[in-house]
Amino acid sequence: MERYRRSLGLLCLGSILLVVAAACTKSTGGGGGNTTSAAPTKGGTYRSATSSFGFVGAFDPVGEYTAVGFEYYQMLLRTLLNYKGVAGADGLTPQPDLATDLGQVSSDGLTYTYHLKSGIKFGPPVNRDITSQDIKYAFERIDSKPLVAQYGFYYDGVIEGMAAHDGPPKDISGIETPDPQTIVFHLTTPTSDFPARLSLAATAPVPQEVAKCFTKPAGGYGNDIISSGPYMIQGADNVDISSCKSIKPMSGYDPTAHLILVRNPNWDQSTDTLRKAYVDGLNMSIDSNVDDIFNKISQGSLDGSFYEIPPPTVLQKYATSSSLKQYMHIDPQNTTYYITMNLIVPPFDDVHVRKAVNWIIDKAAIQKAWGGPATGTIAGHIMPPSMAALGPDYNPYGTPGDHGDLAKAQAEMKQSKYDPGHTGKCTDPVCSNVILLNRNISPWTDAEPSIVADLAKIGINVEARELESGAAYQTIDSVKDGSQIGIAMNPRWGADYGDPNTFAQPLFSSQAIIPVGTSNYSLVGLTQEQATKFGVTYPSGGVPSADSQINACLPKTGADRQTCFQDFDKYLMEQVVPWVPMFWANQVTITSPTVTAWSFDQFSGFIALQNIAVSNKVAP
Amino acid sequence: MLQDPVRSEELVVGDVVSAGDGFVGRTPWQLFWRRFKRDRVALAGGIIIICLIAIAILAPLIAKLVGHGPNELFDSATNEFGLPIGPSSKFWFGADRPGRDVFVRTIYGARTSLTVAFVATGLATLIGVTLGVVAGYFKGVTDTIISRFIDMILSLPLLLFALGISAACSISKTGCLAGLIRPGLRLVVSVIALFTWPYIARIVRGQVLSLREREFIEASRSMGAGGLRIMRAEILPNLAAPIIVYTTLIIPSNILFEAALSFLGVGIPQTTPSWGRMLADASNSQLFTYAWWMMLFPGLFLLMTTLAFNLVGDGLRDALDPRTGGDI
Repeated sequence: MERYRRSLGLLCLGSILLVVAAACTKSTGGGGGNTTSAAPTKGGTYRSATSSFGFVGAFDPVGEYTAVGFEYYQMLLRTLLNYKGVAGADGLTPQPDLATDLGQVSSDGLTYTYHLKSGIKFGPPVNRDITSQDIKYAFERIDSKPLVAQYGFYYDGVIEGMAAHDGPPKDISGIETPDPQTIVFHLTTPTSDFPARLSLAATAPVPQEVAKCFTKPAGGYGNDIISSGPYMIQGADNVDISSCKSIKPMSGYDPTAHLILVRNPNWDQSTDTLRKAYVDGLNMSIDSNVDDIFNKISQGSLDGSFYEIPPPTVLQKYATSSSLKQYMHIDPQNTTYYITMNLIVPPFDDVHVRKAVNWIIDKAAIQKAWGGPATGTIAGHIMPPSMAALGPDYNPYGTPGDHGDLAKAQAEMKQSKYDPGHTGKCTDPVCSNVILLNRNISPWTDAEPSIVADLAKIGINVEARELESGAAYQTIDSVKDGSQIGIAMNPRWGADYGDPNTFAQPLFSSQAIIPVGTSNYSLVGLTQEQATKFGVTYPSGGVPSADSQINACLPKTGADRQTCFQDFDKYLMEQVVPWVPMFWANQVTITSPTVTAWSFDQFSGFIALQNIAVSNKVAP
Repeated sequence: MLQDPVRSEELVVGDVVSAGDGFVGRTPWQLFWRRFKRDRVALAGGIIIICLIAIAILAPLIAKLVGHGPNELFDSATNEFGLPIGPSSKFWFGADRPGRDVFVRTIYGARTSLTVAFVATGLATLIGVTLGVVAGYFKGVTDTIISRFIDMILSLPLLLFALGISAACSISKTGCLAGLIRPGLRLVVSVIALFTWPYIARIVRGQVLSLREREFIEASRSMGAGGLRIMRAEILPNLAAPIIVYTTLIIPSNILFEAALSFLGVGIPQTTPSWGRMLADASNSQLFTYAWWMMLFPGLFLLMTTLAFNLVGDGLRDALDPRTGGDI
């Protein structure tokens, strides 16, 4: 009958679809390659792919505040000081780049003088010598609010005359350029990590004749970055800069498709001791299918990965194969992944609750969700090993196997005002409907059930909300009543440069609390005035502050500074308890046998694109 | 649909009217049931649905028997890389990445799908029938307003709207409308109900438009029955058949709609298992190329459920419409 045929048809269709789905699943072929111990080969292209650029400032150096952006800039731009592009502490020590040496500091620590190397030119189509005025112009761009600099706080109020203002870039009184080869910075207060702040891409020289054309919208210059480094964006030489109207975006950068870098003909290797620049270029394409990226690497059509965390299937494949192991590079970044608790949102306004949370969280399960020990080290405190290293022995909430300790968590909870019956669980109604903010992608979503279950053990019943990464950050970085989230597991923080203050001021000082875009998600040090101004409820018990501790450390240098910030980490973990640090991340990069020289850039936390070599002979 | 309208008094099952020798009259419902029973495929679908309802109700019991809760995490179910184990004696359908039992979660997923099936569709039917009857009976301005409203909703991009609402109401603690709309099953059910009632309303309105011209309605009216009485006692009973059929046929698309929303990550938190969400977890980083069980079992159940409802709906339609072939 007609009906039977129809149903049969449906059944057949269903089975066909299942079979097709199964057939379409690619099997990851294992590829054993030749071991590469050859000398670094010059030439070829590093072919890679990424699921998305993830830029937050449209790739304009003035505002691009992402680690991936910083790594691309290692190929494109040069700054007064920069890094060797190697792993470890050596890779975090500023070296002269555009400057002839590490600069002269006046005895009162308020004046820094740098001389520029001669013969360093901008790439096409500008093609002229870089001068101190070009560096000063970069600073002027930082203060022009319409251009949306994102780390201006490193310079505003530190360099005399620097303060963000509406309107186009204008002169800064505290930066002197007595001649084209000399630049002098006048500071308002001694700042011992100031030289490191001169390694950030926003301070790279910018040719005013090109950048002045990009005033609206913010980030426009990101399409036409003029190179000062070994590489330039492909198509730069075809850009017509005779007038603002004639400038078209460089063809090599398409935010949704690719970033292609080729050699900058004006770069002189003799002036650059930091970059080997073996490859002829970079070809970074967008591939939203992460599994596909790693398939291509094992097949050899891509030379290596970039920032994507390899899926656990890939990790297992490479880690368990004796022939493939050598192509998996594991390097510690300067990054902590953490759970942040908001000090003004009940029940997290009670330090006993925050301590109980620290005791109960099963960090080993979280590490597993990420893919196992290759992806990072379980964190016992806030600052990662590369910063003011307290060492693995300091783990105030350490538990056997890092699985969490229910007894200790209950003991802590019993002291809390939200557990009046001393049951070891939060019994206050405020604990029955807490929101846990999370990202909506793996592996964050895979770690979520464990954290939800752990919190339930101490009576905190959370409802998880999963948001896209940017949206998740925007939810916790705004200080507005009603939108305050008590606990969030989405954030991670990486040091901007090799100084422990990068893990202090932006995260835990009261001056870092701004209405929108703060990184002090826990609101440590929130004052009554700030609370009133921003319209949030100031808890009756007050909010712990870390300001005096941070300010005590800032003027210190050398070993004193290290010790001071180590004590600061201890103070945070034991007295303030704003976080549950989850783990210190490793960057796992998978390469193919075509990579003949490997280097890890400790500064950005990724493969050192400026120092790797490939054996393929492909043009960018 | 029913060609000959019947009066409400006649719809009593079991009334056998003997008329003379050898003839056994049967009520329309008895006729329907006989026809439906003959349709083996539809019956099979019906049995599947009953089984699913049973599984959904008994889910906590089944979980207890197996010994694994739907959200219980097992360290032994994943290896050192966080990869889950496959079907084994302890985990019949294997495990997922956090280490949960896929079998138990699949069983609990039936609850989510059936809740959507019955509650969301029920709500949609309630709204749709009410508005459809009102529009069809009163005609004029009322009809115009309601019909345009229907057109408007039908022209909205369903998925985009659902995504937008879910995303917007996820951000703040209270959600939207002072806590009324919060991410979760409630939101998904509301969204589905809100976007699918127009289908039913349209069909009902069409039926009512033709029904209201019949003589028996005129007769009622001339006897003094008011609009409300006519709608309730005369029109609604005659709509029973099409309502049942179309409601059943809409259920599969609603179930798939919920699966799609969960797949896209909006709506239901992980603590409420949903087949759509399980499929999404399986396709994360192509995990299913390794952990095929994470995709196969929820997918199979989803397929079975929608197929069953489709078959039953088809069977109902054929059984209730005396015009389509087959003997009694």
